[in-house]
Amino acid sequence: MRCQRCQKEASVHLTEQIQGQRRELHLCQACARKAGLSLPESPPNLALDAVVQSLIVAHVGELVGELAESTCPDCGIKFMEFRAAARLGCPQDYRVFSAGLLPLLQRYHGATRHVGKVARRHEGAGQQLRLRTQLRAAIAREDYEEAARLRDRLRLKDSQA
Amino acid sequence: MTLDDLTKSSGEWLRGNGPESDIVMCSRIRLARNLADFPFTNRASRSEKTEIEAHFKGAMAHAKLELSYLDVNALGNLDRLFLVERQIISRELANSDGPRGVAISSLENVAIMVNEEDHLRVQFMLSGFRLGEVWDAVNQLDDRLEEQLAYAFSPQLGYLTACPTNVGTGIRVGVMLHLPGLVQTKQIDKVFRALQKINLAVRGLYGEGSQASGDFYQISNQQTLGKSEPELIKILTDVVPQVLQYERAARQTLLTERRQHLHDQVSRAYGVLKTAQTISSEETMLLLSSVRMGINLGLIDDLSIATVNELFIQTQPAFLQKLRGSELGVEERNVARASYLRSRLSNGRQAPRH
Repeated sequence: MRCQRCQKEASVHLTEQIQGQRRELHLCQACARKAGLSLPESPPNLALDAVVQSLIVAHVGELVGELAESTCPDCGIKFMEFRAAARLGCPQDYRVFSAGLLPLLQRYHGATRHVGKVARRHEGAGQQLRLRTQLRAAIAREDYEEAARLRDRLRLKDSQA
Repeated sequence: MTLDDLTKSSGEWLRGNGPESDIVMCSRIRLARNLADFPFTNRASRSEKTEIEAHFKGAMAHAKLELSYLDVNALGNLDRLFLVERQIISRELANSDGPRGVAISSLENVAIMVNEEDHLRVQFMLSGFRLGEVWDAVNQLDDRLEEQLAYAFSPQLGYLTACPTNVGTGIRVGVMLHLPGLVQTKQIDKVFRALQKINLAVRGLYGEGSQASGDFYQISNQQTLGKSEPELIKILTDVVPQVLQYERAARQTLLTERRQHLHDQVSRAYGVLKTAQTISSEETMLLLSSVRMGINLGLIDDLSIATVNELFIQTQPAFLQKLRGSELGVEERNVARASYLRSRLSNGRQAPRH
């Protein structure tokens, strides 16, 4: 069925009784909104990334000077890249960027300490991260000899794990 | 299990079983987990993502988990959308690229996404309001995987995640509620505001930022750090009964003050769904919502809740196209949708045999 005002597909259908007179109304979403006929409410758009970003800007603003230069040695991400995308690069970033992250965590979660389940095999894990970054870099600069060496070291660690 | 098998069945969470299932469609919990020795998904190379996938599949085999792994990277757009509609994968996983997938159980209670925003998103869901059972199940599943995999974890910050909003427990505890009474009595905004004040998120049927459809709303925690998993679950188990009470009161108001109008609305909705020759997805959701409430209030007695629950999912675009075995344009889908609704609703009480 078409909207009675603009001929788009109608999605709001109303039947009114006014002084015994029956009136039907068929409108598309946009025209229904214009006519003040609100549709079933949808939850407010959370736009989580935007929330996180505004928190980052508001709470680590003064630290950006020193943090701006900092780069994670394990995955190569810069703090400024995290600031732009609101996604970290690797687990080690929590340690490397802690000065910037802790105020953010405090604000978002109201806490900076984990309470709850504890992982079983986490100790000593994460040592392959830096080798992987070096491997990626070696491949990027087409240093295949170095890449092969790094891959062997990773395989060795994998088999020991 | 293949995707075509899935078109012939439906998830356990649609069965309409369990406590409070007149309002609570399902309870679900997901845990965000990452492997310690890899960069997060957004920084991982293609070959690293392949390795992550291989580590997960190895763990799944060693832990003897009876799950089927679907390689999302190898699926076409329609099949990906089909999995999104069934709540098995997120839109984000469907639309990203590179090696990625999902492991599911035959009843579709378990869905473990691989290489989503985090390396693993371990999810468990059940129909009705059963967060305690869901937590036991997902926790056990996580334990079995954890015996095989070294997760990224710090004693101070807990499970480490790609986005700092998930760090700590990595848990998202959610319930999907059907709230037509609160929508019709225009109290839903008040409820949203109250929930947001206590730091709970409200989303539509298809997750973050999506338009709510069919009067379904998902309520979940936002805080993940500084409280234990049981404490975070308790926030929901304390608050949800209050929302249920408001919804029931709203339905009673409609029933006592506007009974004839309500009965008329429900009957018309049922009538249109049973007889329409072409119908849009939006109108279908709107009408199914009325019918669902009508069944719960005893205004319709020849249709099961499970059938209506299934129809919310099975009238979505990808399902209809999978059923027809071909791609359909909007108009063709509207015709196919109407035809499917007529066939499912003509013999009332019985859901088709699976």
